[in-house]
Amino acid sequence: MQIPSRLWRFARTLQEILYGMTVYEWVREFDKARGEVDRLFTLIVFGELLGIPLLPPYYTLRLLPYVVPRFEAWRRSMLRERDLTELFDQEIG
Amino acid sequence: MNAILTLVLAGVAIGLGYGVYAKSIDRKIIQPDNSRTTPARMYMDGVDFTPANRNVLFGYQFKSIAALGPIVGPIVAVRYGWLPALLWILLGTFFIGWVQDYSSIIVGVREEGQTFGALSYRLISPRARGILLVFIYCYLWLIMGAFGKIVGYDLMSKPSVPLGVILVILLGLLAGQMTYKWKQDIILTTVVTVVGAFIGIWLGTLQGVQNLFSGINTALGDPGYKIFWSVVTLVICYFGAVLPIWRWAQPINYVAFWIVFLGILGGVIGLIVWHPSYPAEFPAFTNWDGDICAATTCPEGVTLGALGPLWPILFVTIACGAISGWHSLVSSSGTARQLEREGDALFVGGGAMFLEMFLAVLSLLAAVVGAGSLAQYAEWGGKAGVFSNGLAVFLSHIGVPESFGRPYGAVFLTLMALTIMYLVVRFMRVASAEFLGDRIPVIRNIHVGSLIALILSGILIWTGFWTRIWVLFGGSNQLMASLALLIITLWLASKGKNYWWSFIPFIFMFLTTIAALARTGYKSFEAVDFADVSGAIGNIIAGVLAVVLIICAFILAVDGIRAIIRVTRKEEAGAPAGK
Repeated sequence: MQIPSRLWRFARTLQEILYGMTVYEWVREFDKARGEVDRLFTLIVFGELLGIPLLPPYYTLRLLPYVVPRFEAWRRSMLRERDLTELFDQEIG
Repeated sequence: MNAILTLVLAGVAIGLGYGVYAKSIDRKIIQPDNSRTTPARMYMDGVDFTPANRNVLFGYQFKSIAALGPIVGPIVAVRYGWLPALLWILLGTFFIGWVQDYSSIIVGVREEGQTFGALSYRLISPRARGILLVFIYCYLWLIMGAFGKIVGYDLMSKPSVPLGVILVILLGLLAGQMTYKWKQDIILTTVVTVVGAFIGIWLGTLQGVQNLFSGINTALGDPGYKIFWSVVTLVICYFGAVLPIWRWAQPINYVAFWIVFLGILGGVIGLIVWHPSYPAEFPAFTNWDGDICAATTCPEGVTLGALGPLWPILFVTIACGAISGWHSLVSSSGTARQLEREGDALFVGGGAMFLEMFLAVLSLLAAVVGAGSLAQYAEWGGKAGVFSNGLAVFLSHIGVPESFGRPYGAVFLTLMALTIMYLVVRFMRVASAEFLGDRIPVIRNIHVGSLIALILSGILIWTGFWTRIWVLFGGSNQLMASLALLIITLWLASKGKNYWWSFIPFIFMFLTTIAALARTGYKSFEAVDFADVSGAIGNIIAGVLAVVLIICAFILAVDGIRAIIRVTRKEEAGAPAGK
């Protein structure tokens, strides 16, 4: 029982590594695209929270309960300092 | 010595380097704490910060760092003989390579996912961030020159290669269409496109197809056909730079990955089945100048100039595979923000670097035992072509005919280079928009930005002397490694930890790289001859790049030493030195 279990674990590890080399990058890109749209939507609706009034408060209030749980992460993400080196999450040498 | 013994030696280096040295540094100095929340968990936003399983992240890190560098570097460096190149790959990774990759992740994790740009600003000096950007731009430009010349002049100009490359690109586009538009299963997509890609490569080897491309090459003459294929390469890069990433870069990279992965796997199996000894005609050491034609009788018409003195040139010729500054950006900007637990950093950063070392050793073997002699190595051109031919020899031992293996190896390398090159054009475009976009708004246009990057690349490809471009490329990479090691040293000093294990590698890398750049700059200016306008432009560009990099490195060294003094004084005075 011991050996098949170890073999299974080894196969699982290899599978995860292969996933990391192949499809993971696609999944990350999907997540990033979704996150960007989400971030933009929140900015349009709740821009006031960062000092950018874009929509009348009526719509903002109706959407508020859905945004509150994600608000901290969104605000940090919007206000985080960025520079060119952020682009290089892939080796190009 | 048997080639398998070399793989065993690499295994021992991994066992000792990773299992003993790296683990002891990890345990005694860094002391990772799995209960501490990493930025990926703390700031999880689904965009930049997302925790990932350690095995998945290992695969991601390895794929991200292992590009063309660990393959071409050793191929060129064996001109000194196989022993110096092998020693540098093993010892470089053992003492420096993993230190940089692993520590960059740790610094990124402990500093809330800050990038190296921000860290250099904070820890070294405000202008260090600007210098980092200069390194980056020079590096990007040199990559385009070095890889563009390999692809346009050496690989695509072989009549059996272009059709395979074009079909793989088209199948990559199909993979994107199947996944994103037709919502097909990824396994079906993979099978259809990868099998199709192999058929495409095989079609390229058919005599009729080869005659067609030979006819084009003959009609254009030399160097007309080389310029033509380099223009084709730049056009491919243009599409890669302006089209959405999901439409072009990502699916093509995916199909190309399988071509490369299966090639490496087949090569390793072929090598093990063959288990050859090192050929006597390929000595362990040739001469101190890496002048292969002085060590053997080069075939008629083959001119491989001397590389230059073993120190410092060898240490910049092999960058990736031993130590590469670019890894520090990948580790800090990408991996550190996905690390689930601090304890995973060594496996992900150190482990992937040691595996890359293994790839570099394999590449070295492809040159040495694959070629079988210095004369054959010289006949194969002494560059990327050596790897494709060596890989074909390995594959022939598992039944793959060399008539297929050679074009397969060439397509494999072309794809590896292309997948990097169009990302580089994208980065150059963004970088130029960042630098000049406010003053010259038209540069912000993606087509204008991409065309400027491609024209600059073309100038380097058509006028540059490849070996010098490669050394400068390695030099800019190693300067980045110096900067990364300096940041790591400063960070360790600011936390009151032992920093000698990163400070000594910094000193070595810094002095070596400056010496290599100074020599290359001098040789470039010395070779300027206005009777040959094209060569003169290439040499002047190479010389100016070397001077710019040296000036930046000295500014960095001055600021870095000041910062170290500042930090150690604060520490001695008992003040918190972190800020």
